[in-house]
Amino acid sequence: MAKMDLLQGTLDVLILKALSWGPLHGYAVVRWITQRTDDALRIEEGALYPALHRMEQREWIEAEWGVSENNRRAKFYRLTEIGRRQLHAEAESWRRYAEAVGKVLATATATA
Amino acid sequence: MAAWRRAFRLHLRKGTVEQDVNDEIAFHLEQAARELMADGLEPQAARDEALRRFGEVERVRRTCREIGRQRHRGRRRTEVFSELWQDAVFAVRQLRKSPAFTLIAVFTLALGIGATTAIFSLLDAVVLRPLPFAHPERIVTLFMSDRGELRSISAGNFLAYRAGARSLASLSAKTDGSFNLAGDGEPERVTGARVSAGYFETFGARPLLGRTIEPADDSPGGDRVVVLSHRLWHDRFAADPRVVGRDLHLNGVVHSVIGVMPAAFDLRSNDSRLWVPLALTPEQATNYGDSYLRLLGRLRPGVPRAAAQAELSALAKRLETVDPRSNRGRGVKVEAFLDRLLGGLRRRLLILLGAVGCVLLIACVNVANLLLARGAARSREIAIRAALGAGRWRIVRQLLTESLVLSLAGAAAGVGLAHLGLQGLVAISPAGVPRLTSAGIDGTALAISFALALAASVLSGLVPALRTARPDLQTLLKEGGRSLGSGSPRDRVRTGLLVAEVALALVLLAGAGLLIRSAIRLQQVAIGFDSAGVLTAQVALPHADYPEPVRAVAAVQRVVDDASRIPGVESVAAISILPLSHNDSSSTLEIEGHPVPVEKRLEASTREVSPGYFRTMRIPVLHGRDFTAGDRAGAPGVVAVSPALARLAWPGEEPVGKRLAWSVDDKTGPDWRLVVAVVGDVRQGDLADPMRPTIYLPMAQSDLLGRDVEMGLVVRARARAGDPFALATPLRRAVLGVDPRLPVFDVTTLDEIRAASVATTRFNMLLLTALGGIGLLLAAVGIYGVISWFVSQRTQEIGLRMALGATERGVLTLVAWQAMRPVIAGLVVGLAGAAAATRALSGLLFGVTATDPATFAGVLVVLGGAALLASWLPARRAARVEPTRALAP
Repeated sequence: MAKMDLLQGTLDVLILKALSWGPLHGYAVVRWITQRTDDALRIEEGALYPALHRMEQREWIEAEWGVSENNRRAKFYRLTEIGRRQLHAEAESWRRYAEAVGKVLATATATA
Repeated sequence: MAAWRRAFRLHLRKGTVEQDVNDEIAFHLEQAARELMADGLEPQAARDEALRRFGEVERVRRTCREIGRQRHRGRRRTEVFSELWQDAVFAVRQLRKSPAFTLIAVFTLALGIGATTAIFSLLDAVVLRPLPFAHPERIVTLFMSDRGELRSISAGNFLAYRAGARSLASLSAKTDGSFNLAGDGEPERVTGARVSAGYFETFGARPLLGRTIEPADDSPGGDRVVVLSHRLWHDRFAADPRVVGRDLHLNGVVHSVIGVMPAAFDLRSNDSRLWVPLALTPEQATNYGDSYLRLLGRLRPGVPRAAAQAELSALAKRLETVDPRSNRGRGVKVEAFLDRLLGGLRRRLLILLGAVGCVLLIACVNVANLLLARGAARSREIAIRAALGAGRWRIVRQLLTESLVLSLAGAAAGVGLAHLGLQGLVAISPAGVPRLTSAGIDGTALAISFALALAASVLSGLVPALRTARPDLQTLLKEGGRSLGSGSPRDRVRTGLLVAEVALALVLLAGAGLLIRSAIRLQQVAIGFDSAGVLTAQVALPHADYPEPVRAVAAVQRVVDDASRIPGVESVAAISILPLSHNDSSSTLEIEGHPVPVEKRLEASTREVSPGYFRTMRIPVLHGRDFTAGDRAGAPGVVAVSPALARLAWPGEEPVGKRLAWSVDDKTGPDWRLVVAVVGDVRQGDLADPMRPTIYLPMAQSDLLGRDVEMGLVVRARARAGDPFALATPLRRAVLGVDPRLPVFDVTTLDEIRAASVATTRFNMLLLTALGGIGLLLAAVGIYGVISWFVSQRTQEIGLRMALGATERGVLTLVAWQAMRPVIAGLVVGLAGAAAATRALSGLLFGVTATDPATFAGVLVVLGGAALLASWLPARRAARVEPTRALAP
């Protein structure tokens, strides 16, 4: 299976989803996303950080320094209430988008 | 809690945004490499692969750093504002806990800020705002200078200057007059001006409607046109846009309206309401002797006033040879139009600003004292906050926020006071102040009051805040919360404030005192006539209806005769210009047997009167005889002179029987007139001016009355006839009985004219007295507050003294003396300050010097007395202290 490039704005919703399970540091977020997508999405790992910091600025997530599983100082991100609402809103619009596109593609196949 | 944690974290990470980003990325790369190594890669290969997967490290780092910095700045901003807001909310809560203190402080500041805002608005409207003309700084006014005095300029000289002056882009002439205005509604009398073509261009002013006066209008015959002021257009024509082309009867002659000027051209409430062409006749154009024109010029761009002055002085020099009889020894003076328009106003307003500044400072000192007392009462609270870790700066900021809240509340109330005050000022201000009505609370005034509030909060709050925020923990602990003994720095601050307050109040009161004395002196000036119970009115006989002066004089005499028969009237007379007038008419005299060079000839105010004028006015005839009906046209010419003229013309000689003449052309020779009387001196103009040399002649023998004869009528009511105004209606009827076309106007009494002549002085006096009163009140309250505080702090000591045998009287003296020491220091400082400050007043004073000892002594007594009273009340309370109560722990 060929790797797909990430659609604009998709990274944010994936990060929010990743954090919805609990606080994670940046590297763990990358791991979470690549595992869940079975490496199907090509993420430039570095792009994660500007996204995280921008979301922190918008107060969707907040950060705190803590200690990683192997005792290293790491920055942990956690979803805020605003972020949780944002995740719901984005997930819903994604669902509707995918549904609409799916419908169109289904009919197209039928007439072909 | 979250906010607290955020603030705390922010504090720790301040300035470490960069480090954070580096650490975070390093952790990521290390973690990735570790996992790749666990998958079996060599360490170096694992690190390379981790870097490859990460992408451009440097770009990511840069982006993150930028975001971090933005976040940091945003946080910082909201934090400062939220802290400020919290401080303000806290301050309001604290202030509401002590409403009495807050009310007094806010009211005190409102007085100071309000008064300053009002006077500043006035200064801004009248002086600071540029005139509504193009390049107003280039407009100049020209005068003839004659032995240091500035006079009007003759038509001949005007035309010579206009032809010769290269430094001026334009030069125009103006002479004021009044006009009987008829047609379209009731006849009325309006002030107006005859102006030469180019008058409006000199101001760079364009008409709102139609056109202005052009050269074609400015010649005899073509001059039946009129330009209306915005005010007249508005009042009489209801701002009719089709007014141009309509006809107007001016002094019985039809004039066609050619234009209307914009509202901005109405600078003063008593300015011209219409303009007609000057239209000099050929005879007038070559007349160098009659000086009645005011000249207005516009400097060419880039030409300084001094250059114009030099050029015109050279022209004046040449004119001395063209017409030596009128021009020898006389020069020309070029003044800035604005300076002339404002006269002494700029200085008067600056003095007022200085006075309100004093009031504001006293208010600030008072509030500072209140805050100090409050700070002392709160020292435990502050000490506890300091002990809990609040930094000194943090406490100072909180206290300053409190004074800022006070000042802003004071400014809000002050703007309201200023609004009321300005309305009052505009209402009582003397006439002729330019652009006065445009003064009001506008954006500038609001900005000023806001700035004043900021300044006041620092002035009144900084010292108390610094003092309060540095509580001496040890002393507090030792004294168990009782405050510090005398001699501590806090006492010195309070004493210093008291000294400053007393000194400022003294400066204010000294100024007010000098003006009060000036006003009293001015009221007491001998005017030379009996003003009680005399009605006056003006009557005008236009040239169109009375082409020959003889007929005009006859009509006036008939009015006088008819009015004399009104019941309740003692006597009636007429005079060309009433005393105490801003107008004057003067002539140059030749004295028989005393030939003098042209430039040393005498100049005397000249008045035409009806027989019986001196009797009606109760002006004493000192020598000789009164005018009679026999002194008519054709009879030998006679005059009466005032002692001021007699002393100059015939020093040490008897004037009655001597002869004098107006200076006339050499061709005809002097027309000698016999002096038949010396009559008492009369104030013809300003009360503050010396008595002018004056000459009276019977109106029937005058050849000096102008084209349009205007006479003042004086009607003396019989004693106990009651209000002279009751005679106004019968007088009007008498005038209309002679000629129904004659308007009677400016009906008033001599007493009112006299009151109006001291209006400006009284206005200055009232304002400065009001400010001085406010200053005195604030200072007394301040002294009372500080002394009360001294006493309350020393109750223990006083109790001890009394227990040890001190008498009530002894305690009273002790406390009062302690209180009066800083007051006396303040009086001494204030005396020095007042001696320097009142020098600025010298131009406004009359009959007193700027350092008048009696005034200063009086002010010292008033202020010292107020201070003594203010300290005596708390001292008496101290003297009645029960020793046992005071000493109880």
